[in-house]
Amino acid sequence: MATAIPSIACLGVIGRNNNPLHITIFPSYDVATNKRAPLRTPLQFSLLLSSTLDVFEARRRASSSTSQSGGSGGGGAGAAAPVVTGDFGLLHAVDERLAAYGFETNTGVKFVAVVDMRGRFAATGPGGTGFGAGGVGVGGGGGGLGGTGDRAMSLGVGAGVRGGVGLREQELRVVFRAMQTAYVRLLQNPFYDPDEHAPLMPAGGSGGGSGGKRITSRKFAEEMRRIGEGWAPGVTSL
Amino acid sequence: MDDYPAGSLDHNVPFLIVSGLSTAPTKSNLKDPGLREQAVLVRSEIPPVESREAKIILRCIQERDATNLPWNSQDSSKRYKFKIKPIGREFLLPPRRARLPENFEEPSSPLILHSPFSPLSPGSSLYPDGLIDTRWLQKHQELVPSICLTFYSLTSDSTLATLHDNQLKADINAVKNAIGQSGHRCRLVVVILSDQSPSTVGQFQERLENVRRSTGLDPKNSLFVLPTQRPEADLENAVDSVLTAVFDQATEYYRDLGRHARKKKARGYAPQPTIPPTTGTSHTLSLQGWNVRYDFKTAVFAEFRQEIDTALRSYEQAYDTLLGADVLETIPGWSPRFNDARLLADIITIRSLKCLLWTGQSTAAVRRWQAHHDRICDLVDRRGRGTQNYGWKAWEAIWSTVMANLIEKVQFPELQPSAILPYRPPEKNLSAERLQPWELLHHQGYWYRVAARHLSSRRRLALSIPEDDRKSPDQSSASQLRKGYSYDTYMCPEPHHEYPSVGTGVNHSQLILDRLMLARNEFQKRHQIRTSAELALEAAREFERMQRWKDIMNLLAPLWRDMSFRTEGRWDIMEAVCWILRGAAVKVGQKDLIVAIDWELLNRGFSRRPGWHYDITKALDGVAVDGQPLIDISDEHVTSFIQASFVFKNEEGKAGQSCPAQLSITSNAFPDAIPVVLSAIRVEFEGSLRTIRLKHDPGDKQTSSSPKVRVTKTALVEAEATDDEDSDDSSETGSQTTSIILEGMDDLTVLPGQTRVFEMDVALREPGDANASSIQISMAPKSFILRYTIGIRDTNSVGLWYSQSSSRKKVTRINPHKINVLPRPPKMEVRLVNTLEQYYASESIELELEVLNEEDVDAITKLDVLFSGHDVPSFKVQDQDGGERPSSAEPAESKLDGIPLGTIPSSKSIRAKIILDPAKGPIVCNLLVKARYHLVSDPGTPIIQQETYHLNIVNPFEASYDLSPRLHSEWPSYFSIEDPRHAPERDQPAGSFRGIAQKWSLATRYASFAHEDLAILDLDVNVLSTQGNARCTTSKTQTTAGDGVTISPKTIEEAQFELVAQKQDLDDRAPATADLAFTIKWRRLTSPENTVNTTILPLPRFFVTTSEPRVLAGVSYYAPPPGLSSSAEQLLFLDITIENPSSHFLTFGLMMDPSDEFAFSGAKTTTLNVLPVARRTVTYRLLPLVRGAWIRPTLVVRDKYFQKVLKIIPTEGMKGDKDGVLVWVPAEDEEDGASEDEGGGEESAK
Repeated sequence: MATAIPSIACLGVIGRNNNPLHITIFPSYDVATNKRAPLRTPLQFSLLLSSTLDVFEARRRASSSTSQSGGSGGGGAGAAAPVVTGDFGLLHAVDERLAAYGFETNTGVKFVAVVDMRGRFAATGPGGTGFGAGGVGVGGGGGGLGGTGDRAMSLGVGAGVRGGVGLREQELRVVFRAMQTAYVRLLQNPFYDPDEHAPLMPAGGSGGGSGGKRITSRKFAEEMRRIGEGWAPGVTSL
Repeated sequence: MDDYPAGSLDHNVPFLIVSGLSTAPTKSNLKDPGLREQAVLVRSEIPPVESREAKIILRCIQERDATNLPWNSQDSSKRYKFKIKPIGREFLLPPRRARLPENFEEPSSPLILHSPFSPLSPGSSLYPDGLIDTRWLQKHQELVPSICLTFYSLTSDSTLATLHDNQLKADINAVKNAIGQSGHRCRLVVVILSDQSPSTVGQFQERLENVRRSTGLDPKNSLFVLPTQRPEADLENAVDSVLTAVFDQATEYYRDLGRHARKKKARGYAPQPTIPPTTGTSHTLSLQGWNVRYDFKTAVFAEFRQEIDTALRSYEQAYDTLLGADVLETIPGWSPRFNDARLLADIITIRSLKCLLWTGQSTAAVRRWQAHHDRICDLVDRRGRGTQNYGWKAWEAIWSTVMANLIEKVQFPELQPSAILPYRPPEKNLSAERLQPWELLHHQGYWYRVAARHLSSRRRLALSIPEDDRKSPDQSSASQLRKGYSYDTYMCPEPHHEYPSVGTGVNHSQLILDRLMLARNEFQKRHQIRTSAELALEAAREFERMQRWKDIMNLLAPLWRDMSFRTEGRWDIMEAVCWILRGAAVKVGQKDLIVAIDWELLNRGFSRRPGWHYDITKALDGVAVDGQPLIDISDEHVTSFIQASFVFKNEEGKAGQSCPAQLSITSNAFPDAIPVVLSAIRVEFEGSLRTIRLKHDPGDKQTSSSPKVRVTKTALVEAEATDDEDSDDSSETGSQTTSIILEGMDDLTVLPGQTRVFEMDVALREPGDANASSIQISMAPKSFILRYTIGIRDTNSVGLWYSQSSSRKKVTRINPHKINVLPRPPKMEVRLVNTLEQYYASESIELELEVLNEEDVDAITKLDVLFSGHDVPSFKVQDQDGGERPSSAEPAESKLDGIPLGTIPSSKSIRAKIILDPAKGPIVCNLLVKARYHLVSDPGTPIIQQETYHLNIVNPFEASYDLSPRLHSEWPSYFSIEDPRHAPERDQPAGSFRGIAQKWSLATRYASFAHEDLAILDLDVNVLSTQGNARCTTSKTQTTAGDGVTISPKTIEEAQFELVAQKQDLDDRAPATADLAFTIKWRRLTSPENTVNTTILPLPRFFVTTSEPRVLAGVSYYAPPPGLSSSAEQLLFLDITIENPSSHFLTFGLMMDPSDEFAFSGAKTTTLNVLPVARRTVTYRLLPLVRGAWIRPTLVVRDKYFQKVLKIIPTEGMKGDKDGVLVWVPAEDEEDGASEDEGGGEESAK
């Protein structure tokens, strides 16, 4: 049976003013139709990216108010500790399949990776053709797969359709690193003016502000696409 | 969780009946009439206790009810948990044994009767092969109490004591027996209330002992005495301790039951039903089924005991068995038992989820939840009706909702609204694993949303049910059979109820909405505003389906008004909100919203809706409109395709002038949108600028080929604000003064994508900062009036200036909507007139000031004058009428403020004179003249004009001086009768100068430093003071300076003065000095005759007496008697006078050397004795051999005693150098004049 493994469903770059700078949506593999299609509509992805801002904000509020509050949750200390690296880890999961991970640069630009936990099928699934990257991912994540599988069995769950492949927050770091590299390259372009994309003061007034321009660089978009398609759990460089 | 049978999922806590405290007869929970009939009545005959304390105790007990406590182990303050039910004096216990069916023939052998809740009893709904149902749970939670807590009162009346005690004993025994006979093992606990206090209750010890003995109750755990005579808090504590003891009893009770269940499981065989089943398949419950039942019971009893871990283990055991190969797998999918078993599986799972959450294993709980879902999915796919139907989705929705409800009940502190993360971090033992993100327990909002999503899938599947299946069964029976197998109806209605062909079925939208609203509520509580907005959008879609337009308005209008999506530039989301809201607004008739949304949607940034008209004037087509509604929107709420800016060309301007400015309106509408025709544009300013209003003048027709940037010049005229549009504003403020605005006319049509630029000159009024604050554009189609206000805010962006000729844009500066209006430039001229080229010290200086009013109106003026510099003299100001005002004089400055000049008529001038007192010396000073004025027409605005002048006052003269000795005619005589030694006593000091008088000649050479000819009126030398007891008199030797003598610039004149100094006392030999001053009286040639300026030049200090002997040489020329030829040889007389002011007898040797230049007669060598205070003269006659030249008589005078050569001092007509004296021999032709001149001097010398 084919094992579902996580894949990137959507990559978003959000500007300093919470304005969308870039969105790339990736198709997920659908067992029922045996096709690759985006899991949600672009509008839904846009809403999903926007909803992550709530979490970014809450986390920032928390880390600025007190640095010890994160420890109250016992196990949560790791996840809710004040963000130093800019890696916010898991922002939230909207359902069993989609989960959003976040990263914020020190200039306030946010990268969001929406992962479809069952976006791809490894091994001999009927849609397995042309999924070279997926194969790599299973190889890398094999250990974890076994562990979770055992656990699931002990609970009396047949592994079934649902892949046992979980995900560690660290595994998304490579995505964010690659995105940041791409963004830095974009910034190095003398024709790219970051202030145009996130004005310090919104141009047309608070209400009328369009937040700023979006990234139009084709190279950046291609880079995002490459990152999104190339990633699978366990991939160590993009 | 409400979808599951009531009571099936409740957390089980020991059931406690409290009897004898409330009088009201309580209804029994035993609803089933059959069971009620067979029920055992337990009844006490003694009336309930009705004291005040009894009520307190009852309330106190009821407060301890634990049924609604959160499902977690947080609150451990109470060591007991009960479900408490107060009753009167009687209650029913369900029968232990089921009855046989009515029509059943009694067999020969006695039948084994079982509980009516057991699948063994034919009357039970589970008969013959059911597993277990909620009724069994209900029995233990609501019907059979673990403890019957009975309250009695103990009378204090000793006469009645025996009687009461006996009744008490009898009653207790009766109740005990009744319970015992029912077969249930509930325990009886008796509490005897006494009206005594704890200390006095001891007196009844014997009676209580008696009761205990005859009832066989244990005083430790089943008989309590509660003295009520104590404070309330005490009483509560006492009740607490009773309940704690009772809880132990209850735990014991449930442990017994649990043990019983385990014992039955341990028997290892399936019990036979009372009567073997005869109908159906005659299938009975298998052993594995029984094991499920026993495990479930064990788990529930553990839960009663609050032993969560134990319960969890048993539940898991029951679950594994149930879903194992022998139980659920063997039940056919068509059988109703299949769904019953599914229900039981759900219930067991939910209960074990509860246990997991209870112990804080949230991630394990999600896994368990997920595992059950997957397992049931697999099961339903294989053995049931598949997962591609609405029934499965309905269950998925229920299953998600269950989790949300559980999370609500458990109340994790990590998921409270104040928490940082929207999910709960994993347990410690799982945190290292690779987790699915969803396995971190998210708060209930997420679960509700997932439920809503499943519900919409359910609706989608329900809507796809074929027409045939939707008919009710009585209408069509053909498809009946097929239908039964293809639709999963577990926990959801049949297809013909789900989506009937006739009538309304399940209201899916409402179901979805309920979930969405619950979710939204949770997200809102956690300030996840964007997520809640997203849910609002989803909810609005459902409202749209249900055509509840008002609800959409309520939901989306506030969201639309201040959407974070708008500020963040999420066009797609804005668009979705706008279209839904617009649809609702049309239905509701909310005109302002329709127009505002249409206005917003015109923006090119949105995606184009095909077929839409994109004409703002048509916004209200199809909406009932009464009148012309006024719609005010601003850019604070709505983005617009119209962007406006206002730019001043210059950063600064002066009041009274005007500054060019540009108002640019840019349209970002869809290229094919209908051009917008504005009716007016209004620019409001902060500061002193007047509002500008541009009105539409449909002059030139613009075509689509018009340029992208169109610049027009607009003339502005002042007009009174008519306020036709602002009627609402003016009515509010009442009698508002009519304001002046600037008005212009232009064509205000803005094509899509075009930038219209209106260039105008803005008149600047008052000084200060001014800026354009807002731009309001108005539209007035037939059906409405729209006013859109664009606030202009400070930005650091640069402005653009469009030039008329080319469309090149020039960057001007940042914040170009601001202008700094400088104060009005003064149009008053202040100037000095008739100034002279140079002003001199010691003359009185007059400066004439002219103040010229160049303003258009009269000005009331005051003048300030200030001289500053070092040692400035004071001054006065003389105004036109001759009035004078003296200045204040301070060391560094002298000033005079506020000299009223009165009203200066327009273009007239007024004069004033500054008269500066004579300066003592040369000074450099600054003159600041300030004209402060205000116009008659505008008294509020002070205007200042000031001028500064540099004044350099110089000395007109400088002089040098030379003092040379002369021979004084007077010398004290030895033969004078006056004895100087006696004089001082008698004479006045002034007249008693008896010392040697010496005469000096003071030659002054003064130079004019003036720039012009000056008239010298008089010259004089004054003695300012003398030192050393001397007196000094001066006299002019010649009348050098008469009236009208002029001295030209840079020329030097000389004046001689005679100075006679005399010591007071002859014996006083100390030198005396004198301070002298040279006074020049002068005037300018131009000034009036009577002007006399006096310049005083102080002289250096001179020594005017000497006590040393000196030799004075004098010369006189032979004057031939008149008539003699003037050509006779010139003869000179050289007089050598030796003065000896000392008191010594001195001897001098004189030696005259012969010379080529002259011949002489007299002693060539001689000796001269000079007595003390005496003088002697030796005369030589010289016959010069040269003419017209200086000759040098070489005479040596030597003090014989000191052997010291004395210097010979020349006097008048002679000159001396270091070698001696020189005598002038006049030329022949000049002899006459010269001799006369010299002769005069000679005479006086003699």
